[in-house]
Amino acid sequence: MNERARNVLAPVVGLAVFFGLWELLVRAFSVEAFILQKPSTIFSNLSGARSLYWSNGLVTLREAALGFVTGLLVALVVATPMALSRFVEHAVQPVAVLIQVTPIIAYAPAVVIWQRGSTARSVLVLTTIVSFVPFLFAAVTGLRSVDPATLELLRSVDASGPEIYRRLRLPHALPYLFAAGRIAVGLSLIGAVLGEWFALADNRRGGLGALIKSASNQNNAPELWAATLALAIIGGLAVWMLTILERVLLRWHSSQQP
Amino acid sequence: MIELRAVGHRFGAVTALAELDLHVAPGELLSVIGPSGCGKSTLLRIIGGLTTPSQGQVVVNGATADTARATKQFGLVPQTPALLPWKTVRQNAALLTQVNRGVERRPVASDAAVDAMLAEVGLVEFLDAYPRQLSGGMQQRVALVRAFALGAPILLMDEPFAALDEIVRSEMRYLLLRLWQQHAATVVFVTHSIPEAVMLSDRVAVMAARPGRIVSIETIDLARPRHPDMEDSTQFLVHVATIRRLLAAAATPAPVRS
Repeated sequence: MNERARNVLAPVVGLAVFFGLWELLVRAFSVEAFILQKPSTIFSNLSGARSLYWSNGLVTLREAALGFVTGLLVALVVATPMALSRFVEHAVQPVAVLIQVTPIIAYAPAVVIWQRGSTARSVLVLTTIVSFVPFLFAAVTGLRSVDPATLELLRSVDASGPEIYRRLRLPHALPYLFAAGRIAVGLSLIGAVLGEWFALADNRRGGLGALIKSASNQNNAPELWAATLALAIIGGLAVWMLTILERVLLRWHSSQQP
Repeated sequence: MIELRAVGHRFGAVTALAELDLHVAPGELLSVIGPSGCGKSTLLRIIGGLTTPSQGQVVVNGATADTARATKQFGLVPQTPALLPWKTVRQNAALLTQVNRGVERRPVASDAAVDAMLAEVGLVEFLDAYPRQLSGGMQQRVALVRAFALGAPILLMDEPFAALDEIVRSEMRYLLLRLWQQHAATVVFVTHSIPEAVMLSDRVAVMAARPGRIVSIETIDLARPRHPDMEDSTQFLVHVATIRRLLAAAATPAPVRS
């Protein structure tokens, strides 16, 4: 089997086995539908109400993407002085660690109150905060750990700080940022869903988090599972898109070699 | 022309370089040889304006080392090739001409000229290759072209061939001589290898450690152009033996000054 076929086939087989076993176990033990749905039922619900999940999924995806990008940009702005000054690094690090170790579910309601119930702002704040931390640590490491000989080479022609940043530090940080991006994709989706979940009752924006919350309140297990699966599919697609982008931008990097 | 007047350097309480004077004539190839830790690289950095000496003065073509660095008068070739892994061979070779562009006030190699130089050193088939696709010797050839493409009147080389095997190292030696003769640059070449120093140089400065100091400067009167056959000549072997003797004598600790 060639490498290309293996790369396509292996994940398909993995997913088929996972859902197949799930289906088999639910059928074999006759598990009640309100306890655990069969994958076949979930897929059928999902395709039966495509427009509902598509429109809500798009809302969540947009929110997560906005938070992901904002988190990345804020992390780069904060990481740059941290990478250049140990003092700034030691000053910022405790704050970043506090953000990292505090579960988002604990402060999500407080953020919604802080943002006076605005779902859009609450979601943006939450997704930005959760994406920010992995990007921050990755950016500090990537911006700082450049080859000293290359740094000296650029200094030997009196390259300015911004030029060293643009030509050396930022490209060097890219592999680190992509690695953090894979973590931040999932976290930004969690942030978006929790923001929607804790949003006030008059949330008219929708989103899969809001849909899951309403399905849960109504004990609507098929909708609950279908929305969850839609969320998983969105997350998977986001990671896949990130992988494609990584393959293009990091084609020079050893991680992209067969 | 490079002139060091009473230059010395300390790292805290440690004297890295004792007071020394050195004159390098325009177009001269001077090698600096000595044991590890004797301050060869520090001396090179001081000449290149990358380290400010604790005492004394460095004059480069009538200006300070800092001014010379700010006008891109130095082409640095570090111990490792220091290529940017995300740039192709031709992009790496042209790098120094693009950084801090315009301050050199002299023509630097055009893209076509850089390609021609790369072809001359046998890399015509690798112009669009990435550094990871090259051998160590090929990478170091790119580093040499990068320095010569800058058109800098002074080249500072810090053990550039140290990591190469003996066969490639010998090839690189003659490649350097060819490029040097074409570009008529002044070269300060730091090395550990006595045959390399003798084969390349007009003069060899022998250094001793603790504190770092120049103990002798040996003039090499081998005819130019130099070729591999000369390595078997009596004249060459005498120079090698002389420098070996000087290095052995320099290994004995310096007399303590009252």
